[in-house]
Amino acid sequence: MENELLLEAKALYKDRIRIALSAFIIVFSFTFFVYYTTGIAGIGEHYPGHGITQGLQVVAAFNNFGLLVAVALMVFAFRFWSWAFLPGPASLFTMSVLKGILGPYALIQQSIGKRFKVTLDNGLSFSLRCSIEEKGTDEWFTYRLMSNKLQNGNLRDVALRHGFSLKGNRFVASVSNDELHHRTLLLAKAMIVATASL
Amino acid sequence: MVTDTNDATVYELIQLMASLNDTRRAILLALAHIYPRSVSGVQLSRLIGYSGKSRSLYRGVISHLQENEMIQIDQLTPKLYAIRINNEHPLLNVLVDLCKIHGKHSRKMYLKALEEE
Repeated sequence: MENELLLEAKALYKDRIRIALSAFIIVFSFTFFVYYTTGIAGIGEHYPGHGITQGLQVVAAFNNFGLLVAVALMVFAFRFWSWAFLPGPASLFTMSVLKGILGPYALIQQSIGKRFKVTLDNGLSFSLRCSIEEKGTDEWFTYRLMSNKLQNGNLRDVALRHGFSLKGNRFVASVSNDELHHRTLLLAKAMIVATASL
Repeated sequence: MVTDTNDATVYELIQLMASLNDTRRAILLALAHIYPRSVSGVQLSRLIGYSGKSRSLYRGVISHLQENEMIQIDQLTPKLYAIRINNEHPLLNVLVDLCKIHGKHSRKMYLKALEEE
């Protein structure tokens, strides 16, 4: 059973990578043009000195550093963009799964860094972070569920019984996109159990 | 051995198993049947009918199951791992007991699948 929204998100994600790559090529050629033709910020024609010193001056020229900085900026911008934002259908998928299982009264906030913060109507809250894995795994789209800090004696038992592990008084688990629905439910239930048996 | 397998625990076990995706569920069921035997990553991926590479099975699935203390992994050599179900887990020990009592035939099938030629 493949989810339509997920398939769409996957395709869109690939498209976005392609668009980013082509944009990179265009911007790169433009920067290259600006720095290495005479005229705009172009490379100078005359360097004082002879032989090696002249060569070194060309290497250390403003243009080379300018190009390096420009490329670094482009890479940084792309990294930031892919760290911060989810493809539209993917965040729509996440939102609708969460809304579907937690009901209309749960407050779901999406924030930068592919994060979601969920506050249930009973005041309990947890966060989930989405990551798009590419290397080494077959799963391309996974979530990290993490509850808020809880205080109770037998938290570990409650965590294990709901398929979570306990780290620093929080319930945590990595779940795949097809588990999101049910394991979110279990997380909410585990948090209620943990706070009820105080 | 746990003997007070009451309804509430079985209910929780069903809920836990239902929350996992089919790969993880298959792993836990297979490992529960063959307990206390352990298997290597390659054996496990054959046992559950996993089509991808066993390395990706390890990174994406097995490591997460280990994090949630559902399975235990012993590293025998740098490349060889012994994977078995965590019988200390409050719900999975119930599953192991159920498999031990009612799953004799399935256990035979799993063990036959593990035999080397």
